Amino acid sequence: MALQELLQLEKHASFGLKSVDDVELSEEIEELNSEKLTQLPITPFTMNKNVQLRDSNTGRHIHINMEKGTTTLAFKYQGGVVIAVDSRATGGDFIFSGSVKKIIEINKYLLGTMAGGAADCSYWHRSLTVRCRMYELRNKERISVAAASKLLANILYNYKGMGLSMGTMIIGWDKRGPGLYYVDDSGSRYSGDLFSAGSGSPFAFGVVDTHWKYDMTDEEAYELGRRAVYQATYRDAASGGIVRVYGMKPTGWVKISEQDCKVLHYKYADEKMV
Amino acid sequence: MSIESYNGGAVMAMAGKECLAVVCDKRLGARLTTIGMNHSKIYEINPYLYVCLPGLATDALTVYQRLRFRVNMYELKESRKISPQVLCSMLSNLLYEHRFGNYFIGGVVAGLDPATGKTYLYAMDCLGAITIGTEGFVTGGHCEEQLYGTCEALYRPDLGPEELLEVASQAFLSACDRDAGSGWGAFVYIVTKNKVELKSLKARMD
Amino acid sequence: MFKEMQSLANAQMTDASPHKVAGFYPYADNGGTLAAIAGDGFVVIGGDTRLTTGYQIYSREASKLTKLTDKTIIGSCGCWCDSLTFTKGLHIRLQYYLYENNKPISTNATAQLVSNMLYQKRFFPYYVSTIVAGLDADNQGAVYSYDPVGSTERHRYRAQGTAGSLIQPFLDCVLGRGNQTAPEPEKLTKEQAMIYLKDAFMSAAEREIGCGDFLQIMIVTPQGVEEERFKLRKD
Repeated sequence: MALQELLQLEKHASFGLKSVDDVELSEEIEELNSEKLTQLPITPFTMNKNVQLRDSNTGRHIHINMEKGTTTLAFKYQGGVVIAVDSRATGGDFIFSGSVKKIIEINKYLLGTMAGGAADCSYWHRSLTVRCRMYELRNKERISVAAASKLLANILYNYKGMGLSMGTMIIGWDKRGPGLYYVDDSGSRYSGDLFSAGSGSPFAFGVVDTHWKYDMTDEEAYELGRRAVYQATYRDAASGGIVRVYGMKPTGWVKISEQDCKVLHYKYADEKMV
Repeated sequence: MSIESYNGGAVMAMAGKECLAVVCDKRLGARLTTIGMNHSKIYEINPYLYVCLPGLATDALTVYQRLRFRVNMYELKESRKISPQVLCSMLSNLLYEHRFGNYFIGGVVAGLDPATGKTYLYAMDCLGAITIGTEGFVTGGHCEEQLYGTCEALYRPDLGPEELLEVASQAFLSACDRDAGSGWGAFVYIVTKNKVELKSLKARMD
Repeated sequence: MFKEMQSLANAQMTDASPHKVAGFYPYADNGGTLAAIAGDGFVVIGGDTRLTTGYQIYSREASKLTKLTDKTIIGSCGCWCDSLTFTKGLHIRLQYYLYENNKPISTNATAQLVSNMLYQKRFFPYYVSTIVAGLDADNQGAVYSYDPVGSTERHRYRAQGTAGSLIQPFLDCVLGRGNQTAPEPEKLTKEQAMIYLKDAFMSAAEREIGCGDFLQIMIVTPQGVEEERFKLRKD
């Protein structure tokens, strides 16, 4: 904006609006900006820890968030990034769904993973999708992975301490090559080579840390991701369902496989000849 | 998560025409982590009489050993095999003796009279309150709700041994597949007047 | 303003006797069960009509299903006041959609709208279990389920509510067939789906006190919406 004023460029020439302070335009931007999407009403008592959500008759605590257990995994290697996730959604011990899509396709070059509250993750990734698209339209170039993850981290920081539950990875490919960021509900954001989130992550970390090499071929890397998540579903009660594997390449993401845990288990068991 | 569901696991018994199916899953967990995948919750008292103890595994083992002691003493004193009714009362009394400081288990007793082919099903809570399984099935353990749903919908009276195996397995596996704390395969005892078959079911391992 | 309200809330809390945990209990669990099965060219959705609080029955004739368009039905249960408020709000949004676009809203657009509306109240949620059932653009049946804060997924069949945990594994068994090696039967018909739905609710009413009285079923086909009622246990 400052640069535009300095160079006295006409802003949004094609829109036929001359002044930068044009009210109509800024309103329009607000509408497009989907501010409404990112501003949620807050009740005064939400911040008060003494007030609990209970049933008014039985006095039982009301539990609202579903899905706590998960295994999500993403790691870099020479060919790009591998993303592998399970598909189970649990509420307490009940399995709400065995086919959740925990990899969210933000656009052709960006993926998000979801761990924590299912609604929190899918809603904010959707909101992030809108923002990334708006960035593309305004700047005539794709958003970087760093910027996309920061947009999400900033939203989450604003809602810090208010009970959001998210541990998400943002994976993409931009000018700087493959990008992998971990963003969570405390507003923190880290870049790194290997992340795993959810209750099954210790098991997945164990497998990946043992077998990871930078020089892996694509196939080896996909198999490592698949195997790590499968092992996590085997040991962790809150992970399971379908193992989905995606790859991030210079040309965008590719869906590698979606296999049922049951099929994978008996395949691996046959290989071990048990 | 309550202590009863610390180890997970589910059991079920279903009666057919002169036959009986006793089913349990194989999981032994420590909260969300699965630490054993071959853990039976069914204890054989004699080939026609089984007791299932779902709940906290350490209590289940203790209760089984104490129950075994009492059963052995009973059989020595009375010089006859224990009947399902007596075993049920015995387990109920054992559990109620610990009314203040209870064991964290449930109990299912399933038996078949080899002479008449009559089936006996009982379920009880952690304090020994007996429910008689007049509907033809009893359930216990971690995914009781799901088991009630599937059994109620799939059970039909007077099934033969093969059909009973199919119905009991379907009901049990479908219920376990909707519960995070049980599964990892199942054991099924099919008890008929002259034969006991132990089947191991392949299931989802997640 | 915000701080004032907070300190007010705190003041009220300290005034209460020390033994009683003061609090604001804005929710009630009024029970209710929903289930839906989708197929090629149809979708059936059923809901019981019992309204409860604890062990009491408020009503035996409370319909949990609402027709939104000729192709979309919403079922909502849980906290009854939230169900009513939410469906009312949804109706208003759909009217706006109709006037602005001059056509009724599609099922998948409704599904996304419901998710967004639920999430808008993320910090003071509607305590409801929701199912949206309808026909998609290709006249295929679609069932969308929601948690109270709007996490959604499209399913082939789904049960929600108090007896959801009893019905869902049964539907898994007969429709998902995850543990069966027998070949898939012929394509699911509307009649077969109705039988499964009735079986499921009859079984659930045997074991779950929050489910019973009547089963209200709505059948959506390209020809429109039909309604049927079926008696369940009343005790």
